[in-house]
Amino acid sequence: MRKSKALSALTFLAIGLFLLGLSNFVDELRVYQGAQIAVYVIAISSIILLTGYSGQISLGHGALMAIGGYAAVLSYTYWHLPVLLAFTVGALAAALGGFILGMAAARLSGPYLAGTTLALAVGLPSLANQFHILGGEGGLSFDIGEAPKWIANKTGGDFTQYKWFFWVSTVCALVTIWFIKNLLQSRFGRTWRAVRGNPSAAALSGINIGRSKVLAFTVSSALAGLAGALLAMLLGLVAPMAFTLTLSFTLVTGAVLAGVTNLAGSIVGAVVLVVIPEITDVVATHLGGSEKITANLPGLITSVLLILTVIFAPNGPKLHIRKKVHN
Amino acid sequence: MLVHRSTKRGAFAVAVAAVAALAVSALPAQAFSPRSEAGVTATTIKLGITVPLTGAAAPGYNKVPYGMKAYFDYVNDNGGVNGRKIQLVIKDDAYSPILAKSVTNDLILKDKVFALVGTLGTANNEATSKFVNDKGVPRLFVNTGFSGFANTKKYPTTYALFPSYYMEAKAIGGYLADKFAGKKVALIYQDDDFGIDALAGFAQVGTTFVAKIPYASGSQADPTVVGKWISTIVSSGADTAVVFGVSTATAAALGGAYKAGLAGKVQWILGSVGADPTTIKTLVPAALPLLNGAIATSFLPAAADTNDEYVKQFQEINTKYNKGATFDSNVLVGMNAGMLTVQALRAAGANPTRAKLMAALNTSGSKFASAGFAPLGWSKTSHVGYNGYWFGRLAADGSQTPVDGAGKYVLYTTDSSKGAVVKSAITRPAMPAKGLPTN
Repeated sequence: MRKSKALSALTFLAIGLFLLGLSNFVDELRVYQGAQIAVYVIAISSIILLTGYSGQISLGHGALMAIGGYAAVLSYTYWHLPVLLAFTVGALAAALGGFILGMAAARLSGPYLAGTTLALAVGLPSLANQFHILGGEGGLSFDIGEAPKWIANKTGGDFTQYKWFFWVSTVCALVTIWFIKNLLQSRFGRTWRAVRGNPSAAALSGINIGRSKVLAFTVSSALAGLAGALLAMLLGLVAPMAFTLTLSFTLVTGAVLAGVTNLAGSIVGAVVLVVIPEITDVVATHLGGSEKITANLPGLITSVLLILTVIFAPNGPKLHIRKKVHN
Repeated sequence: MLVHRSTKRGAFAVAVAAVAALAVSALPAQAFSPRSEAGVTATTIKLGITVPLTGAAAPGYNKVPYGMKAYFDYVNDNGGVNGRKIQLVIKDDAYSPILAKSVTNDLILKDKVFALVGTLGTANNEATSKFVNDKGVPRLFVNTGFSGFANTKKYPTTYALFPSYYMEAKAIGGYLADKFAGKKVALIYQDDDFGIDALAGFAQVGTTFVAKIPYASGSQADPTVVGKWISTIVSSGADTAVVFGVSTATAAALGGAYKAGLAGKVQWILGSVGADPTTIKTLVPAALPLLNGAIATSFLPAAADTNDEYVKQFQEINTKYNKGATFDSNVLVGMNAGMLTVQALRAAGANPTRAKLMAALNTSGSKFASAGFAPLGWSKTSHVGYNGYWFGRLAADGSQTPVDGAGKYVLYTTDSSKGAVVKSAITRPAMPAKGLPTN
């Protein structure tokens, strides 16, 4: 067991070094997209943890990301916290929000839970228009600055701000996956799976179902909050429009495409979400379509992919392919 | 179970494959990245603009980029700029700073535009500033009058064209003191840097209001919000109302006031941003009776003034190159910025670079021909464009005639700080033949 842990730690380190090294060789656009992918990976894996392992559904993760984003920006701007601490504040604030939501969630299930979280996704971001400190529709700007000199000097060349964003979000994403992976192998992970598999049997074995569900919701929300703070960093500001209903749905789609019970699949889901607009751009350019087509085509393709996945591979494309091979 | 050893190994294989796919998709972009100045080839110059094509603020402003593109197409058909055709990449930001940031990313990193032209909105341009500055991309003739954009230290690559909202508020304040002394004035304004800039200008000239009514950008679409504006105006006893908002806000205010029976009881004074009569008429036909007789500020000639040589030429171009679009002040704004852009590109020389473009504006920009009535102020130390407004009375047919006497334009010029408001006559360079710059 210890040996395999060391091996997987090494693998993570290798992937991390490979990705960070890669950022020296690719176009800045790809670096930015890489950072986007990393943020999506965190957000999607937070949903996978919640839905795939603890069996609860959330259509409101965009709202939890908003809590994380706003908390990070406010603490950075008004308390002058270092960036990493601001991100932590974002995650903790979202965890608190998720804890409260989780208390309600533990008493609800299926469509009722989906409806409650959906309402949150619709309502919460518009709070920004009610309180002046939240900056209204225009939002609050968030500039974490450039990479520290000791990092920028070591790598040489032009260390752009987007590259720094990529580094920060990639490291956060790897740490997140590492954390979730271990968490799922721990007592908590086993408890969540037991509750998801059969609540009555789990209760009979002495598991406190409510507490287990609330914990899953809280952890998932903290990760969503981190993703929200990172998204604010990427965009350079937080505003209600950053956390739309579309974002919440996109994340669920990403999780479904990944296979909701497949943590590593979150990377696939995230890549797909970033690549789709790229593909539609190429298609629209070839068809000579207007900018309206380019703007709406990604939504259409994502929705179609979602429907196809649910119909033909409800457990995610990977499990589907594996099953085919084994049969 | 799910976390099976073979599954884990499979998971890593998928992860590595995903990363490899991304890397492969990334490499060609590096391999083929251009070595010369971004956006300039032997035969083309690529420019970009962000505007609301959809959403609450879109009506009217969605015509600006197509007016600009029509003018560029006209120039392209007449030889282009030093043999290069101008391409304009138009991106929709729905008047959202978040979307503005993301499409500006695309314009600079993906489309690799040479410069941005006429990007619209105060908050939107603020949101993209950091990135635009970092990349050193010239941002010409922003479609906003936020006075802050003339700050060359904070926005070194940004060139303002519109007189600032600060100037506009001072000019309106001066005009109110001049012609509306003793009246009770209410103010409706957009509650972001757009409106706040105007508030500061009014404060500078000591204009007092019986009611100040802020609205959050986008909330003008909500009838209950508009109802509150009108009831506040009524309860304040105002007989004059100033609107500092986008076209949809002006249309909503006038429509709401008509419904409340305020026709003939309140004199409306409209800031230039939301004063295009064609847009307002189309949006809220009920606003028409109040629009008729409203006073509006402008720094360009009225779009219906066919006696103006620029307007006449632009209307001809619009008919030929912007098929189906009604010529209004939005199209005029787009074409006017287009004409200035062509002069700036010509002045940047046969092998334009971003640095040469900005240097050209600094040294010769103030002499460029444009439809604007106020002089242009660009220099090495200032990125301020126009500096003044004239006041015109709107009529139901969309025309706008000077309020001061028979057809005589009077310009109220000032600055974005403590300078006085000065009345002056209009002087502007003659239009180049056929509207094709030869500088």
